[in-house]
Amino acid sequence: MGYVLMKILESAPYRYDKGVRILTLGKIDKAYGRLTQQVKKGDNVLDIGCGTGMLTLHALIKGANVTGIDINPEMLEIARIRIENSDFKENVNLLEMGVAELDNFDENEFDVIMSGLCFSELSNDELNYTLKFCKKILKHNSVLIIADEVKSNLFVFRFLNFLIRIPLVIVTYILTQTTTKAVKGLEEKVTRAGFKIESIRKNKMRNFIELVARKTKEN
Amino acid sequence: MRVTYFFYYVFINVVETLIRLFPVPAKTGYRKIGSPNEDSPVLLTCNFHLTIHRLKRAIRGINCHLLIANSKGINVWCAATGGLLNNHSVISVIKTSGIEEKVNHRKIMLPQLAAPGIEAKEIQKKTSWKVIWGPIYAKSIPSFIKNNFVKSEIMRQVKFPIIERIEMAIMWWFFLSVIQFIFWIPFIIWKPFLLEEALSLCVQIFGISVISFILFPLFEPLLKVKYKADVNFNFKRLIVIFIMMLIAATGVVIYTFVIKDYAKWMLIRWSIISFIMVIIINMDLTGTTPVLKSDLHEERLYHVVIDKEKCRGTGICVEVCPRNCLEMDTKTNKVSDPRAKDCVQCGACIVQCPFDALFFRNNQDEIISPENVRKYKLNLMGKRD
Repeated sequence: MGYVLMKILESAPYRYDKGVRILTLGKIDKAYGRLTQQVKKGDNVLDIGCGTGMLTLHALIKGANVTGIDINPEMLEIARIRIENSDFKENVNLLEMGVAELDNFDENEFDVIMSGLCFSELSNDELNYTLKFCKKILKHNSVLIIADEVKSNLFVFRFLNFLIRIPLVIVTYILTQTTTKAVKGLEEKVTRAGFKIESIRKNKMRNFIELVARKTKEN
Repeated sequence: MRVTYFFYYVFINVVETLIRLFPVPAKTGYRKIGSPNEDSPVLLTCNFHLTIHRLKRAIRGINCHLLIANSKGINVWCAATGGLLNNHSVISVIKTSGIEEKVNHRKIMLPQLAAPGIEAKEIQKKTSWKVIWGPIYAKSIPSFIKNNFVKSEIMRQVKFPIIERIEMAIMWWFFLSVIQFIFWIPFIIWKPFLLEEALSLCVQIFGISVISFILFPLFEPLLKVKYKADVNFNFKRLIVIFIMMLIAATGVVIYTFVIKDYAKWMLIRWSIISFIMVIIINMDLTGTTPVLKSDLHEERLYHVVIDKEKCRGTGICVEVCPRNCLEMDTKTNKVSDPRAKDCVQCGACIVQCPFDALFFRNNQDEIISPENVRKYKLNLMGKRD
């Protein structure tokens, strides 16, 4: 029993994509597609918490040069294989590194910074640190793109989500050993870090956000 | 106030010991202990709630800064060996917690048991903080600090004292009893008198697990698997199971005397459930202890090899080994492993050696390089393929 359990847990990164698709009820791919419309050909893009490379690939298809960072070497291995099997293996650089090492990048290095389902994994300290350095390494008048699960400000929605989410989390965990978290007060933190929020798109349940924020001159 | 604190301390300990099999995450980041200043020591630990709770009690009275690194709510040794408490967790908490503005030194004390997962060299390179490997047990921290960060031999060895054995027993008992009880629920609804039997079986499981772990020092020589030994069928292991079965049988006999009922089906039920429980506890009994390695996965049994050519006698491996397997030969300035039989295959020595002088080898003579041990945590617990 223990052996089987260990084997299942070990191969969990291979089921991550499926798990995320169930948990977000399939909206993740559409969301990534919509958000990467901001990416232009030849852009220098940073993908924070690239994981298995879902969002990275979306940006690559747009013709960007992408740097993907993640702390999980197994996930990065999956991303590497995925991208190697696509036609875009030239313009990508995957690095095992955490958000705490964002200070290694140069100031004004990137045209777009994007992050899918990563900010919710960070602690408050880490999130504020990340946003601070995103501002630094992003070029002027460039955008920060975030797709993530969020907690609604309204109790009714939080309660409804809670009811829907519990069975969903259990089923997803049994099937894929993957789970996600929700981030609190994202808009506020992004604004406080000195970004100007350009557009916000939330789903009907108010538990998933697609956010585009711009680094403007006066900020 | 003190009385309230004491009850709170005991309460958390009891509750979290019951659910010890599962992760309990606490908030990561900075905590102040006492009233520290810019010269006070900086300590780091995992974010398993029970660990922090106990650590705080062990170091009360000392003024220091405490950093809680993300280990996904798992204890230091398991998280480090399994790759959850890693370089990234430590770098992240050092750089994002604001500790760099609070102190004017750059020395961080890490638990020795984190050595299988955290590379001191990498931390220094990426953050310029110097890692000091602290003692194994939180209770030794005050004397370690007083001793100017010098560790005695006792401070760097894991033990499995009676109190910890009972803790493990209670952890197993609670988990198995709850599962067992859930299984009974439909039958209890059908025939309510079965409730008494289900609860009595919980007591029986308590007896089996507590007595088994109390007797562990007797089993220890029998459970030790020699390298290349046949793991799947092992006569010595059968003796252990047999002794535990006897304990279980005694429980059944006592129960029949107490209720003065000798119903055939009751005896069969009790025997089957007791048998299953003994098997489950035995399945990975060695892996539940800190002093023997789990032999659940035969293909994961390796031993540590020292490359004497590469060894430069830094002695870091000796300092991080929790089983005191290694020894420094002061004449040749090389490390040897006189007590290799005690190795639990945590990989700390391999991960920490700055000259890559240690590596794993299995019985098919396959080698796992230090680089792979570091990256994929290819120790006993880590991932494969």
